[in-house]
Amino acid sequence: MIRKKILLLGDFNVGKTSLIKRYVDDAFDDSYLTTIGVKISKKLCKIHEIECEILIWDIEGATPSKKIPLNYYKGASGAIFVTDVNRSETIEGLEKHKEVFLSQNPYASFVTAYNKADLLTTVQRENFVLNKHTFLTSAKENENVESLFLTLIKEMLS
Amino acid sequence: MINIPLVMNAILSKNVFEYVLLDKSLNIITISDTLNKYVTVTPKCGENILEYFSELVGLEEILQEILVNPSEIFTLKTIAKNNHYIDISVEYYNESTLLMLIQNITDVTCSQQKLLQHSNESLLLNSTLQKILDNQNVYIFVIYNEEIVFANNHFMHYFKVETIQELRHLKLNFYKHLDYTLNSYHALFDRVNSKEEYIVVENDTFILQASLIESTHQLFTLTKITNLSNKLQYDTLTKVYKKEYFKKQLEKLLLLEEEGAVIILDLDNFKHINDKFGQKIGDEVLYEFATCIKENIDEQDILARWGGDEFLLLLKHTTLDNALLKAKKLCLMIENHTFKSIGKLTTSLGMAWTTENDTLHSVLLRADKALYESKNSGKNHVVLKMLKKSKN
Repeated sequence: MIRKKILLLGDFNVGKTSLIKRYVDDAFDDSYLTTIGVKISKKLCKIHEIECEILIWDIEGATPSKKIPLNYYKGASGAIFVTDVNRSETIEGLEKHKEVFLSQNPYASFVTAYNKADLLTTVQRENFVLNKHTFLTSAKENENVESLFLTLIKEMLS
Repeated sequence: MINIPLVMNAILSKNVFEYVLLDKSLNIITISDTLNKYVTVTPKCGENILEYFSELVGLEEILQEILVNPSEIFTLKTIAKNNHYIDISVEYYNESTLLMLIQNITDVTCSQQKLLQHSNESLLLNSTLQKILDNQNVYIFVIYNEEIVFANNHFMHYFKVETIQELRHLKLNFYKHLDYTLNSYHALFDRVNSKEEYIVVENDTFILQASLIESTHQLFTLTKITNLSNKLQYDTLTKVYKKEYFKKQLEKLLLLEEEGAVIILDLDNFKHINDKFGQKIGDEVLYEFATCIKENIDEQDILARWGGDEFLLLLKHTTLDNALLKAKKLCLMIENHTFKSIGKLTTSLGMAWTTENDTLHSVLLRADKALYESKNSGKNHVVLKMLKKSKN
């Protein structure tokens, strides 16, 4: 069976753990518990008749004073960059996360999640320019979570 | 043949490290007894380590390279695994064997996690408070030890900077905007504390207020009232201050026992212009006259329209000689100026120098008398009227 490593990257408290919990366990917990270090979850999936075990790395969120160890990035086939749509600074920090990830994995695939979209108004939603690699997501409302992961996995396997 | 498990158990601290020896293909050669706690199924010799430690998936090449680079050590820190936190390191053991060490760091990581949780919650709270302050329709800055330590976005954008560090580099000396003689934020605070002051920065007028935060930090808030102030303080025709504003500033100068020059000036034969060219042209001349004067005085000087063609000028932070020189230059400048509608004109100036016993009335009266003397002695010049010294 193929095994692929993907990382969830982004600032702290953007909802990386919640997205994984929704995707792997189809569950949601509203309380905030900071992730420290890294926790790996597994998900089996079948894409184009290929069975695949996805190893999802839930990595501690970046803060201004704490950077992610580079060894976490090594060997990853893909990444999901997660931002909180209600905290502009997490969106502004997106490029920095991409830059570091691609410096370690130049040929890896990636998608972007503008998370906590359930808190946006209809007008605010329209302001987001999306493409096939960017998603407005909500782990709470289970919005676009499956699409987010599947898009990345398909890209990685193609 | 070395008894590897015996040696390893002797070397490694009890219950702190676990180890696995791996061959080139990352298959398990031998394993410490207590490794079971990190995995749900007990690993067996000959099985691939990736079946039990999926943390190493994707790293196969990196790990195999260690066999040819004995000095390399690959480390993955703070991995959550089966209710434990571990550090994993893989290093060279011999030319065909890798040593994988697993260190249990659960206790210390749980403590760090609590601190991190607290720190992140504080960061979120700070971020929220910052946004609240940024969205206030006032300009806020906080001083600690004579340095700006916080400013909201409104304040930073006003001075065209993005960060506090940039703001500090500007060396604003903001207190100078209120009063040129102030030399510290402490002095500014003493002046403003528990009351309101009007402060002019560039072309804007603000209400400045101050309060203490925990006795060490001084909070200053500025409310922009430029539009309102313009309506209330400025003469609509000439765009210079109204006499009420001038009087307030002069009163403040006298209250602080500072020295300055009070000048009353008007256009010579202005009535004749109004009669000959009409009021519209007269108004244009007044505007042009006020603009010329305004452009040739310093930022801290105050020009106001008293009424008709009479203007008031307050020269601050200067000496008597310099003030007199400036008044003469203004007189000459008007004489040399060609007014758009009517050509040449002259002005007469009456000047008084403030003294500590002066009142608003006394100093204005003296300047008015000086102007009268100037008019009666040929116009187009400056007359200075000093207070007669008391015989005492």
